[in-house]
Amino acid sequence: MNILVLVKQVPDTSDVKFDERGVMIREGVQSILNVFDQFALEEALRLRQKYGGEVSVMTLAPEQAKTAVQKCLALGADKAYHISDKAFGGSDTLATSYALSLAIRKAGNFDLIMAGNQATDGDTGHIGPQVAEWLGIPHVSYVEQVLSIENGRATVKSILEDGYRIVDVELPALFACLPPTNFEYTNPSMSGIIKAKSKPYTWWKADDIDGDKSKFGLNGSPTRVLKMYPPPKRSRGTVFTGDYHDAVKKIIEALMEKKVIE
Amino acid sequence: MLDFTFTEEQEMIRESVREFAQKKIAPIALEMEKTRQIPEDIIKGMADLGLIAPTVSPEYGGQGFDAVTAGIIAEELARADVTGSIPVFYLVQASWGHIFDKYGTEEAKREVLPNVTKGKWFLGIATTESDAGSDVAGTRTTIRKEGDHYVVNGEKMYISGVREAYTRGGGHITIAKQNPELGTRGMTLFYLPLQSKGIIPTYVDDLGREGISTGGFTIDNVVIPKHYIIGEENRGFYIVHEGYEYARGLISVICAGAGLQSLERGKKYLKERKAFGQPLAKFEALQFRLAEHYTKLSFLRLGAYWALWTYDQEAKGKATRFEVSKAIAMAKMFASEWSNAAIDEVMQWQGAFGYTRECPDQAAWRAIRSFAWAEGSKEIMRVIVSRELLGKEYISYK
Ligand SMILES: Cc1cc2nc3c(=O)[nH]c(=O)nc-3n(C[C@H](O)[C@H](O)[C@H](O)COP(=O)(O)OP(=O)(O)OC[C@H]3O[C@@H](n4cnc5c(N)ncnc54)[C@H](O)[C@@H]3O)c2cc1C
Ligand SMILES: Cc1cc2nc3c(=O)[nH]c(=O)nc-3n(C[C@H](O)[C@H](O)[C@H](O)COP(=O)(O)OP(=O)(O)OC[C@H]3O[C@@H](n4cnc5c(N)ncnc54)[C@H](O)[C@@H]3O)c2cc1C
Repeated sequence: MNILVLVKQVPDTSDVKFDERGVMIREGVQSILNVFDQFALEEALRLRQKYGGEVSVMTLAPEQAKTAVQKCLALGADKAYHISDKAFGGSDTLATSYALSLAIRKAGNFDLIMAGNQATDGDTGHIGPQVAEWLGIPHVSYVEQVLSIENGRATVKSILEDGYRIVDVELPALFACLPPTNFEYTNPSMSGIIKAKSKPYTWWKADDIDGDKSKFGLNGSPTRVLKMYPPPKRSRGTVFTGDYHDAVKKIIEALMEKKVIE
Repeated sequence: MLDFTFTEEQEMIRESVREFAQKKIAPIALEMEKTRQIPEDIIKGMADLGLIAPTVSPEYGGQGFDAVTAGIIAEELARADVTGSIPVFYLVQASWGHIFDKYGTEEAKREVLPNVTKGKWFLGIATTESDAGSDVAGTRTTIRKEGDHYVVNGEKMYISGVREAYTRGGGHITIAKQNPELGTRGMTLFYLPLQSKGIIPTYVDDLGREGISTGGFTIDNVVIPKHYIIGEENRGFYIVHEGYEYARGLISVICAGAGLQSLERGKKYLKERKAFGQPLAKFEALQFRLAEHYTKLSFLRLGAYWALWTYDQEAKGKATRFEVSKAIAMAKMFASEWSNAAIDEVMQWQGAFGYTRECPDQAAWRAIRSFAWAEGSKEIMRVIVSRELLGKEYISYK
């Protein structure tokens, strides 16, 4: 089983602030590995343990994203591909997924490609499905668990708004992964961090991947960002304080008053 | 060439430890005041990550970390555990694990160290006695050779981790007199398992760091095998100081980390709490105190890492024993005082709440206070620096 995990470094959005123009303040914001991607990686490592094989990770990003990739290696991935070139500047999701799909072809034959369901910054959820389309392979989104892999097929659990579905799919395929709410992320161990240093790390520039260069970067990006602004702030609502029993009582009274319950 | 950056690898280590410590340790730290032990799942988590005695070589279950890297872990643990218990649990084993690894026999290392790094056993240090602390030469405990083994008699007091080693397994690197007539040149260091026949533990009701015990034990004709001797016989006094220096370096980082973390809490409080119609943070009298403590502790932090770096330089043959002793003593000289002063200030900012048990800073204050004595008192740090500056002939006693 050869698995590739697509990973992205994102700003730590647990503490995001915007300036008065609505532009995100990046200063002082730490960069982290997209948590969805860490989940995808941990799922891939679990599969490796069960079925053997190798787990590679790939990112298309400026050089500084190396820390996120290095974390993947420390968590147990076997090797890394890092595609970085000014030519990719200004890429929208279409151009990003195109370049990624070319790099994936070059990197080798993978039985399985895993991605995060979405990146916590861009948050489009495009990349996984788009990469699959460029490669002409099936994909499943909202994958919470890969249940089994047998005879060139995989069974996965995919989360729906009101439940879940079990999907049986032919490999190679791409899964966009979504961690269960109570997922406990692993911290890289000290020995993992030491070993990461000596694992294969491949750098590619735009010239290293074959494809239509006019589809790279800003030129290959049909999307135009006209304006960015944070969503309007919602009012805080009513907060009920006090001791647990009192608060519950007050909430029930308020709901009854509004005729939500009787 | 002056470069204050950590390596990429060290930054990753810091991040991983910080995440673990803030997620798992910080929320339960104050509970240790009552439970008086480090939760088992935290010990296991630390062992799984490789945080227990990471200074031990990989072949015995450690990570082979140098002193600076060991310091990074110490700082993050100190920033998370306000009771200081886990930092003590960590620093003692990191320092003395390093000494065991460097001077222990192959057989003893195979037997003991993997159990330590896995978090099963505790490894401590026992030099202090009721009548001998700073003056290690005043040690009364004796060790004598009998055929192919040794017999130890005496007592040790004010020792960290007695309950841990007595109940979990493990023991203490212990010093005793083998040839009393030779003074400091007649002392031997050895590993003493606390579950040995002839050991009776006692416990001290400490002022702080409740998650780890302090106590003592009597040693009544305890037999230890030859391979438990650490380093050469009669060289104990010298080896033990190397270990103390390691520990003092880590303690200095811990003091800086705990103090700076307390200032973080204080800063938040100053901004939130209002008096006389404005946030406390607007009062310059308080701003200046924040600025002063922050500056002192930042210098302490730098000094502590520099001292640990000096220790690592010695291992590379680029610094002498004396340079290391001096650097480490300079780092520890003000460590507990400055940290305690900063934490005390943060307690003050919090008004009456600062004097309650709920206030995390009171626990930090009590923990840090111990480092004015533990692993070498602040006065002894002055003795060492003076000795290095003036020369041995000016030591006022022999
Ligand atoms: C018009 C436009 C211009 C842009 N210009 C820039 C720019 O100049 N610089 C810039 O940095 N960004 C730019 N972006 C953002 C960039 O295109 C997106 O961040 C990127 O395409 C991923 O989209 P997303 O963040 O929504 O990821 P999603 O589609 O939500 O991510 C889903 C999953 O896909 C994988 N994935 C996503 N991105 C990558 C990647 N780069 N490498 C490997 N795997 C990945 C991860 O597994 C991730 O969890 C631009 C976007 C637009 C629309
Ligand atoms: C919480 C805690 C944990 C400890 N854990 C351990 C442990 O795990 N293992 C261990 O072996 N020990 C441990 N100790 C003991 C510690 O190392 C000693 O307390 C320390 O070395 C001082 O010795 P003492 O207490 O006997 O004080 P003394 O040596 O009796 O000194 C009393 C006072 O006189 C000062 N003084 C002594 N000599 C001089 C001098 N020449 N000039 C100026 N002032 C001087 C000292 O600084 C001190 O303030 C621990 C102590 C504490 C508080």
